[in-house]
Amino acid sequence: MMSSIRDIEAKAINVTIDGKSCSAIYGQTILEIARENEIYIPTMCYLTKTLPIASCRMCIVDVEGVDGAILSCQEKATDGAVITTNNQELFKERQSIMKLYNVNHPLECGVCDKSGECDLQNKTMEFGVSGQNFTTKEPHRPVQNWGVISYDPALCIMCEKCVRVSTEITGDEALKVKFGGYSSTIENVKQDKNYKTLGEAAAVCPVGALVDSRFKYSSNAWELTQIPSTCPHCGGGHDVIYEVKKGEIYRVSNTAEFSTLCSASRYGFDIANRDVVKDEIAFQSALKAFESAKTIIFSNEVSNEEAYILQKLKESRGYKLISHEARAFQKFMNSYGTITGKSLYGGSLKELSNSRAVIVVGTRVNDDAPIVKYHINMASKWHRARVAYMHPIEDSELKNIVTQFIKYEAGSEEGVVALLADTLLKECELPQNIRDILDELDIGNLSAECNVGEEELEALEKSLLKKSRFSLVVGADLYAHPRAENIAKLLALLEKYAGFNVICIPPAGNGMGISQICDLDDDIEGSTIGYNVKGDFTLSSFGDGDLDMPSFTQQEGTLTSLDKRVTSLNVVLDYGGYVLNDLANSLGLNSEYTIDYTKDLPLFKGFKAIEFDSLTNYFDAKGNEHRGYILDEVEVGLDTSIEDIAEMSAFDGTVVYNCNPQEHFSPLTALSDNLIKDAYLLGSQQFATASKLKDGDTIRYTIDSVKFERVFKIDTSLKGTIALNPLFDMGLSTALLSSYRFSKVDLERVGS
Amino acid sequence: MSLEQFKNRNVGTQNYVKLDLAHTPTTGWGQFKQVVGRTFKPELFVGLWVTFREMGNALVGGKMHTTQYPFEKLPISPRYRAIHDMLRLMESGNYRCIGCGLCEKICISNCISMETKYDENQRKEVSEYTINFGRCIFCGYCAEVCPELAIVHGPRYETASEQRASFSLFEDMLTPIDKLNLQQEYDGFGAISPNADENIKPTPLAY
Repeated sequence: MMSSIRDIEAKAINVTIDGKSCSAIYGQTILEIARENEIYIPTMCYLTKTLPIASCRMCIVDVEGVDGAILSCQEKATDGAVITTNNQELFKERQSIMKLYNVNHPLECGVCDKSGECDLQNKTMEFGVSGQNFTTKEPHRPVQNWGVISYDPALCIMCEKCVRVSTEITGDEALKVKFGGYSSTIENVKQDKNYKTLGEAAAVCPVGALVDSRFKYSSNAWELTQIPSTCPHCGGGHDVIYEVKKGEIYRVSNTAEFSTLCSASRYGFDIANRDVVKDEIAFQSALKAFESAKTIIFSNEVSNEEAYILQKLKESRGYKLISHEARAFQKFMNSYGTITGKSLYGGSLKELSNSRAVIVVGTRVNDDAPIVKYHINMASKWHRARVAYMHPIEDSELKNIVTQFIKYEAGSEEGVVALLADTLLKECELPQNIRDILDELDIGNLSAECNVGEEELEALEKSLLKKSRFSLVVGADLYAHPRAENIAKLLALLEKYAGFNVICIPPAGNGMGISQICDLDDDIEGSTIGYNVKGDFTLSSFGDGDLDMPSFTQQEGTLTSLDKRVTSLNVVLDYGGYVLNDLANSLGLNSEYTIDYTKDLPLFKGFKAIEFDSLTNYFDAKGNEHRGYILDEVEVGLDTSIEDIAEMSAFDGTVVYNCNPQEHFSPLTALSDNLIKDAYLLGSQQFATASKLKDGDTIRYTIDSVKFERVFKIDTSLKGTIALNPLFDMGLSTALLSSYRFSKVDLERVGS
Repeated sequence: MSLEQFKNRNVGTQNYVKLDLAHTPTTGWGQFKQVVGRTFKPELFVGLWVTFREMGNALVGGKMHTTQYPFEKLPISPRYRAIHDMLRLMESGNYRCIGCGLCEKICISNCISMETKYDENQRKEVSEYTINFGRCIFCGYCAEVCPELAIVHGPRYETASEQRASFSLFEDMLTPIDKLNLQQEYDGFGAISPNADENIKPTPLAY
């Protein structure tokens, strides 16, 4: 039942489109086959990344032997079908559709933001609509401002792409169609939430109806130079295209037909270390600091090449390399690999979106990795996937996709994972030693300690009974857990023996790349050099260190994503200062540019010997991602021993959970003016009562010797006794926070 | 003399008048007499008198015939294409430019540069607009492409100045608001054709 992901046998078919013989797989739509074979069928509402919308009827085709036109976007091709995509009647039909689209469409192309990249403009030209033949009375439709985007109903053609993205992809479910014949509009039913993910809906708008509020009217599309790059924020490796004019980034776009960004990539682009010149004195003192330092401590905001330079420095000069989050992830993955025999988890986002059941454990996924949440949402919407969300804190933002919320006690992750493994591996064939360990588990005791009811697990098991294609999403709560290595092994059993598609969300930024490239150490020794972290000498791309470093928009390099893809960063803005490579060259390495190291990245970790300049960064017409390369699978040694479950320490008293809001990932995103700036300790009413706090109180507390002083706010959507503590605004201290994400704190009220 | 007459080259069919010129002397004495006669003729003073009289007219009589450039300028053809003017709407006094950016796009010498923003009235507002007249070749494309007849070529032809910037800003080209009543509708490059009304097809209205 649960043993392996069911393979659907692909049946090959052959269809003839416009006289061209095309081979395809049964289940593909006519439009998909046509696009694969470079045959043009005009569409207005079709969006590759969602299910067919079928609202425009532009994609009609003739199929031999079938009366009337057929919608090619949703009709699956049958073997031997003979299809005509264009003839006199079809052209007339499409022209009539365009005439209707143009009824009362405001003639304001001159000021419209979309002008120059507008589907309606293009198709109006293509079908030669030069006047208005029909008419209707135009209702009054004022422009609406929905936070990051604004909506002009008069320009809207009701293609419904935005609604589909909001529902099927980002899952905010804010946009809905308000039906009413000609007066139909899109409405935002969750205006108060002010979702930043609405930017994704605006990105797919074929006309100027949904536009970016901030970008609105600031530049014509054709004046902007497009520079493809990779988003450095969440670690999802989003394809961002920086649109630049006169040395300023005006907006970020993406290949919205196939990919979706999270709000940090969409809006967190105004980050750069500006007006930096080569400061010779600072450079010399940096060299001096490197001479005396014993340890280099760095955050995740480091590219693959920079990480490799640091590794080379370690090899040649014996520094200790410290990067807490990446180290925890590295250890977790090493341990995980001893069960699966592979250096990394086997799952992919694409497979996640196709799963029929998803289990999320140890991550507040909507905030930690929105891109993963998008894919869980897709699975939920497309395949009605069961989604079990296991976490100590319920997330109201996931309410619409989570079918079962299993709450466990903070700190009891090992027990939870053991229970999970026991439940899901019941009918799988396991090696005897592992089976013995699972059989020996004291289920009653564990479930009592974790506060996970046996009936909850039974319900989970039952709900998965008839499903196949399972996914497991694992998050950062587990990496920094004291028992992380045993947890990793237990979870790896699910990938190895139950065929789960497992994704272990790497730390935001380039945590994945660092954990693969660097041989990291645990303990700090001697004086430190900090890179984007406070050290005895600090290199910083945030603009507040002893020596400036370029920001991600100012340097070339590569990043490794959650999907194990190595993609390139390109220079978007000027930078006049020193880079890490200059320091490295003075310290005995020899390389003209940072990107000379791209081809040297460790092959034994799955990197490929490809020059930076040979890395591509685009999607083809079929939607295949030609962006960099995917890490090769690397075999590692096995060690199937699993330890017994350790005693759990109880988390009583005031507990806070380190968790950034959805649009923030690091001190880097905190520099953006487009994203929220204020950081509050957010807690439920219950938390406030328990810790005797009032909304608006300023409090002081310490985690990992980092001192916080925050305003406390009550968030009515939260439940339980754990408060959310954001880290993004802590600048160079952020990366010092590395312990288990739940921490007991002593709150000290400031003033009063 | 009209243009037709001037262009008529059919010699012989027109009323030519022969000048009554004296005969050229052939003998040495005759030539001597001609030289002496011309030398001592008072006609020289007739000419000098004309000059003297006109000087008097100009200085005292107020009949000056030369133009005192740069204090005075001659009127030039309305079709002359020189430094740009930014026109205003006659009714509201608002500037006509809608910030569409077509002039910036079409400019073949890349001398127009503009920035726009979203203003508080939910309209596109031009926040910066400059033309670099050091580079402008006065081709007239900007005036032709302008959908609002907002940018046109004016009669101001002096492109010399201490600083280029002093006459390339939007405000300098814009019709001064107090001289709005003097603003001339432009009929040069890119202007609406005189029979534009006949060419317009009305949009059907159901109400």
